[in-house]
Amino acid sequence: MTLSLGRAADSSLEEAGAPQPAHLVDAQLVETRLVAFYFLAALAYLFISMLGGFLMALQLVHINPLRGIELLSPGRWRMVHTNAIAYGFLANAFLGALHWAIPRLTLKPVFNRTLSYLIFVAWQIVVVSTAVGIVLGQAQGLEWGETPVWIDPVALLGLVLVTINFTIPMTQARGPLYVSLWYFMAAFVWTPLTYAMGNFVPEYWVNGTSAGAIGGLFIHDLVGLFVTPLGWGLMYYFVPILLRKPVWSHGLSLVGFWGLAFFYPLTGIHHFLYTPIPMFLQYGAVISTIAVEMVVTTVIVNFFGTLRGSGREIVTNLPIRWFYTGMVFYAITCFQCALQTTMTFQALIHFSDWVVGHAHLVMFGVFSMWLLGIMTYLFPRLLGRDWYSRTLCEWHYWLSAVGLAVMAGDLILVGVFQGFWWGSLQMWDVSVDGSQPFWIVRVIAGVAMFAGLLVFLYNLYMTWRLSTAPAPETARLPAATA
Amino acid sequence: MNTPTVTTPAVRRRQLMVTAIMALIVLVPSLLGFGNKFREFILLFRGDVDGVFAISPIMNYLLAALGFFCLFGWAMLHGMFHDIEEPKRHFLETERELDRRLPNPPIA
Amino acid sequence: MFESKSGILGIAGLAFFGIAFLSNAVIPMLMYRNLPEQKAEQLINANVRYQFEDLARRFPAAFEKTYGSPPAETKEREAWLNQKCADALRLGRKVYIAEACWHCHSQFVRPVSNEERRWGAVSASPEYANELQRPVMFGTRRVGPDLCREGGRRSSDWHAVHFFRPADLSAKSPMPEYPWFFDGAADKPNARGLAIITYIQWLGSWHETYPLYEQYEASPLQDMQVDAVPAAQQSPATQARKATP
Ligand code: HEC
Repeated sequence: MTLSLGRAADSSLEEAGAPQPAHLVDAQLVETRLVAFYFLAALAYLFISMLGGFLMALQLVHINPLRGIELLSPGRWRMVHTNAIAYGFLANAFLGALHWAIPRLTLKPVFNRTLSYLIFVAWQIVVVSTAVGIVLGQAQGLEWGETPVWIDPVALLGLVLVTINFTIPMTQARGPLYVSLWYFMAAFVWTPLTYAMGNFVPEYWVNGTSAGAIGGLFIHDLVGLFVTPLGWGLMYYFVPILLRKPVWSHGLSLVGFWGLAFFYPLTGIHHFLYTPIPMFLQYGAVISTIAVEMVVTTVIVNFFGTLRGSGREIVTNLPIRWFYTGMVFYAITCFQCALQTTMTFQALIHFSDWVVGHAHLVMFGVFSMWLLGIMTYLFPRLLGRDWYSRTLCEWHYWLSAVGLAVMAGDLILVGVFQGFWWGSLQMWDVSVDGSQPFWIVRVIAGVAMFAGLLVFLYNLYMTWRLSTAPAPETARLPAATA
Repeated sequence: MNTPTVTTPAVRRRQLMVTAIMALIVLVPSLLGFGNKFREFILLFRGDVDGVFAISPIMNYLLAALGFFCLFGWAMLHGMFHDIEEPKRHFLETERELDRRLPNPPIA
Repeated sequence: MFESKSGILGIAGLAFFGIAFLSNAVIPMLMYRNLPEQKAEQLINANVRYQFEDLARRFPAAFEKTYGSPPAETKEREAWLNQKCADALRLGRKVYIAEACWHCHSQFVRPVSNEERRWGAVSASPEYANELQRPVMFGTRRVGPDLCREGGRRSSDWHAVHFFRPADLSAKSPMPEYPWFFDGAADKPNARGLAIITYIQWLGSWHETYPLYEQYEASPLQDMQVDAVPAAQQSPATQARKATP
């Protein structure tokens, strides 16, 4: 083992010598090494994914230096871009954070540690072979379901094992559950179901319009039933810890949970409005989407209620700043959602870069922000060493946040233009040429975000270097206040 | 910030007021808007052959939602959610306890 | 029940997911159960067959290298061509998916935003009830134009050159180049090149509007001005809806 994690947080709970209350005897609660591994894998895929996005962005502004190479085809790399984010970055980062949060919430280690490592290895194989399969031209025709045929069963098995590994300790936890665990438990049921639905049904059994309905259901459930509940669950866990006070209202958080559980799965078809999918189903999806936005409002109110009175933490506490920036973006996204799901709006913005902007706002602006914030908080604890440079952490934050804001704003704006160009029956080239300035801005914003990642990786490397060097006795673990 | 939040009756009453006002602000316009749109929708589709098809899913959603709402009310009357705010404090205490046991406890 | 773990796992986890699957997936499946899935062989029509044979005339060497030469007898020849054409459609669809064409092109015409004027009749479910639309290629983003009525609109030569180097035909096109569909030159398509061209020529070939040409005459917006309501006061959506019977 090359990473020196011996001094890491929980592995030495036992030696602490304090009297052990019965429920705390299981000392080796968190497998910190695994958490670190997951985070590193996640960052590696984020790196790859950003390169893929960068390639496509360059293609759009005609300066792709690698044109005409089959294995570097921008189309294929666009699929790598989206898949690496979903299955590489988000899934790995979530699993890492969950390996930290769930044992500490339930006071039980995962069901089986060996299984944990097995899942880790299996999942990396799944992600790498997905990427390789796509680059070799074996993609399947559903967004986020491009995973080549032969990987689908393995990935599904992996997800089921994850569910087993985490759900057993959760069901054994005593007392009324904290809201994070509500979200996690439900997410572990939903994720394998969603994956199975999207990767098998429209590929093998159902064609045409119904396949479209299921495809919509799948794309949306993956966001709504895998990413969103895990994301919110982690926020309900980390925000109170970092603010050192409980959430504003646990009751309200449960309203958010049940609302999400009921309405979110019903919204899928809103990705395919005005298709031949029966109109009444489209209306149903529109209505539930609007209901979801109301539910989301309660969650956001809850978090800002929690922040009340601790507003300065936004300035001083870096992870909190990541989290709340993400929440502001979340509020914006959801407001946007409620508008764009209406038929009137769809007529204008569907198919345009508006949607791409929206997707970046959610996936990077919200969930990646949260996960990067969690990493900013946890890496020092995993490595037993405070960050090498707080300034670099700040750079990471600002480059990512500003880059994302510019990119999303830019794409959303050009989306409106594109909608009008198309609707007014101009020649197609008009929309392509007119988008150029915006696409150039998008490249620049993307480079900023990528630079942010590089800064983070460098900072992480230096921190790790320091953590392996013999530390002076006075070195203290960073506090939750960071 | 280790002191638990005190909930005196006065505080609780104020919270109730805030909740009620928020609920009104959210519910009244949205119910009005929804009701209005729904009425328009029904009027639009009533004469249509496919009309039933258009109205039925919405009715289904409403009924299902109503059913769950009733179930929820029933559950509350049967003593669930009586101490709904407890887990949020309990979890912070265990967190603190876990951190306290570290060889180098983080400065909290 | 609500507060318990089984409630979360059972009601939120399974039941709600089930309700959504039932209402958003099973219902459309039931509604379209009378549209049996057509195999690629059943999709061959005179239009796409013409295009396929046209490929044989334009690129005889490439065609023979990929498919061999057809039998001499007319009846066998017909069956052979149909079979090869179906194979080409299957491979073409595979290429279309593998190259993520569907991340840049959609395949459905909406009843709004003047799309009927640009791309012809609004798409309908029966058009999609076939093997090549499993999973369906609706698409979610249009960097390039919609393709579901593309067949016959341009010659196969045009497509070959366009895939080889789009910028040669459409200056400043952001569409990627696909030299690996060819053996070194635009007039030497390989199996994948022939297949994707067949696939593209097939799109819309079943429709009575085939081949559908984009109208480059005076903007149709001018006609709209004769409407009773000044065009400026109508949204594109209203105008389109009025055009729909
Ligand atoms: C980067 C996005 C992108 C990708 C990927 C892409 N295209 Fe295009 N495509 C465009 C754009 C933009 C145009 C319009 C400009 C032009 O004609 O080149 C276009 C035009 C076309 C046209 C001509 C439409 C017409 O009649 O004017 C066809 C056919 C086409 N693409 C097919 C394909 C196929 C097949 C693939 C996959 C092998 C593909 N495209 C991949 C962006 C893309």
